[in-house]
Amino acid sequence: MLYDALRFYPGGDRAIEIELGDGMDFTINFIVHRLVAAVRAAGIAAIEDLIPELASFQVNYDPDRISYEDLCNEIETIYAEMGRGVTGSLPSRLITIPVLYDDPETTACIAAYRKDYPDKTPDPDLVCQLNGLPDRAALRRRHSSSEYWVAALGFWPGLCSLLPLRPEARIIAPKYNPPRTDTPKGAIGIGGALTCIYPDATPGGYQLIGHTPAPTYDGAQRLPDFQDSLALFRAGDRVRFLPVGMDEYEDIKARVAEGSFRHDIIDYQIFSVDLYLDWAKEQAQAQEGKA
Amino acid sequence: MSRSFTTDKPGLQTCVQELPGRIGFLEQGFPLSGPFDAWSFRQANILVGNDRDTAALECQFAGPTLTLETDALVAVTGADMRPKIDGEPVPMWTTLPIRAGQTLALGPAMRGARSYIAISGGIATDPVLGSRAVFHQAGVGGHALTAGQSVPLGTPTTDVTLSQVPEAARPVISSDKRWQVEALAGPNDDWLTPETVETFFSADWAIQAKSSRTGVRLTGPEFAFSARATDKNPDHGQDPSNIIDHGYPMGAVNLAGQTPIILVNDSPSTGGFINPFTVASAAFWKLAQARPGEVLNFRRIDRDEAGRLRAHLDAMTRPEVLERV
Repeated sequence: MLYDALRFYPGGDRAIEIELGDGMDFTINFIVHRLVAAVRAAGIAAIEDLIPELASFQVNYDPDRISYEDLCNEIETIYAEMGRGVTGSLPSRLITIPVLYDDPETTACIAAYRKDYPDKTPDPDLVCQLNGLPDRAALRRRHSSSEYWVAALGFWPGLCSLLPLRPEARIIAPKYNPPRTDTPKGAIGIGGALTCIYPDATPGGYQLIGHTPAPTYDGAQRLPDFQDSLALFRAGDRVRFLPVGMDEYEDIKARVAEGSFRHDIIDYQIFSVDLYLDWAKEQAQAQEGKA
Repeated sequence: MSRSFTTDKPGLQTCVQELPGRIGFLEQGFPLSGPFDAWSFRQANILVGNDRDTAALECQFAGPTLTLETDALVAVTGADMRPKIDGEPVPMWTTLPIRAGQTLALGPAMRGARSYIAISGGIATDPVLGSRAVFHQAGVGGHALTAGQSVPLGTPTTDVTLSQVPEAARPVISSDKRWQVEALAGPNDDWLTPETVETFFSADWAIQAKSSRTGVRLTGPEFAFSARATDKNPDHGQDPSNIIDHGYPMGAVNLAGQTPIILVNDSPSTGGFINPFTVASAAFWKLAQARPGEVLNFRRIDRDEAGRLRAHLDAMTRPEVLERV
C-alpha cells in the first residue's frame, strides 16, 4: 500500500529514513526509485548518500549545510512535482544468471547448520512446504519461471534484492533464526518475498536453494564485466535464472578461474512500466481464475 | 630514499583509514568505513602538519611495529598503546620526529581500544571508489596490514612546529569502564513501547566480546514492542523486530530479535531489522574507545544538542588547539 504522503523519520543527526508505503511490491519500489532519481537530479549539495530500498529510502546529509526540516521540505516538494502515476519506461539491462539448484556447496552449508540445529528443515524442503510445491523440481521450475527486478542493493557490496516480476512466481520464506555465520559466495537464497545472490562469503539468513558459479562481485576487478564497477547489478536491472547441469556449472567455474568468463548481459531493451503493470494484472487475474 | 614504511609486526587488524570515508556508494552496499574515532584520528594528523582528514593508521587493541624508510614526523593519539621509538618510550599526543631506519612500536591498549598513527605526508595507497579507507572484511581499499608489507607515503608539508594536544582538547577516555553516549530517538522508536524507550535511556548496556568495526553488540534489558511491530503487514517478516529491508543509518542501534547492535563504520548499509535509536555522530568516537565488558549509558539528546557536539568536536580538531613543545 502506497501512503498518501511521505513519512519522515530522523536517523540521528546525519540521516533521514523516508517511507513511501507499506509492502514489498514492484509499484512502491518503482516509485521509490523515481523519487530517488528526482532527488538526485535536484543536485542538493548537502546530500552525501541516497539508499533506495524496497518501500523507503535513506538520505545521508551534512547537517551543517542544511537543516533536517529544510531537507524534508525540499524532498516533499520534489515528490509533489513528480506526480503520483506509475508510468513511463526506462532502459533496463537483462542479465542471465546460470544456477545449479540443490548444488553441493549450499547442500553442505545447510547440513553444517543442521548439525547445530537438527530441527531445522532443509531449506529447499521448507520452501516447498510453505509454498504448496510438491517437490524440489517444482520449486526449480517456479523459481526459474520469472524475470526478477533488482529492487535494491545493500547489506554487503553487491548484494541484490530481487523481486519476481511474474506474480505467480512469488515464493515466500522465513529467514534463519539464528542467522548462519557463513554462506558460500554465489549462494542463491530466498527470504521474505525476495531472492538474493550472495556476492561473497558472508553471514546470512535466507533459505538456500542453489548456487551460481558466475560472480556478481569482483573486488579485484579481474573479470572483464567488472572493469567499470566492482558490483554487477544496478537497481532497475532485470535478472533471469538459467538452470544448468553439473557439466556446464563446472565449465563456467573453470572459465571464471582462468579470467575469460563473460556475463550474458542484454542492454538494448526498454522496460515499459505501463505495459508491465497491465500484463501483471492479467496474470494475477488468470491465476485467480485457476484457483 | 623511498617515502614509505615497512610493517615489521602488523598488530591486530591495523588498517589505513581516511575521512570522510567512502561517500556515495552505500546504494551499492559499500559501507562508509573511515576512522572509528575521528577525534583522535584528526588530532594525529594535525600534529604532523597533515590536513586533518588525511589517510593514517587505525590500530585496534594491539598496535603494530613499523620501520620508517624516510625521515618523517609521526604522532600517536587515541588509546594509550605505550609507543616507543627504537625501544625508548615516547609521548602520545605529540609530534615526534623520526629518522629513516628507526622503528615505531606500539603495544597493547592500556586504556581505550583504538590508537591512530599519523605520518607526515599521509599514507598514499591507491584510492578505491574515491577513498583510501579500508573495509577489511570485503577487501575494499585493501586489507589490514600484513608483516613485511611496505606502505607508500605522500609528500609532507614543510615548516611543521613540534606540538602537542593539550589535555583539555583530547577526547576523555573513560577510566572507570563506564561511558555516557549521546543518542537520539528514531528512526523506528515507534516500534517499541514508550516504557521500553524510557528503559533504553536509563539502563546499563554491557558491550559484548563479539564487537568490532562491523557492529557493537550490547547486553541489557528486554525490549517490548508496540502494535506497529506486532500487528503489521506480513511482508515485514515474522519477528517483531523485522521490518521490510530499509537503509541503516551509521550509529543506529539495530535491534535483531532482542540483541541490540550499534551499527558503526563497517556495518551493513541496509537490512531487515528496526533501528529504534541512533547515536549522535559526534559521540561515535566513544564507541571506538569503549572495550568489551565496559558499560554504556545512553543520554537522550535532540538534533540541536547533536549540532553543538559536532561543533565542539570540529573546534577540538583544528590546528589552533595545538600548543608548541
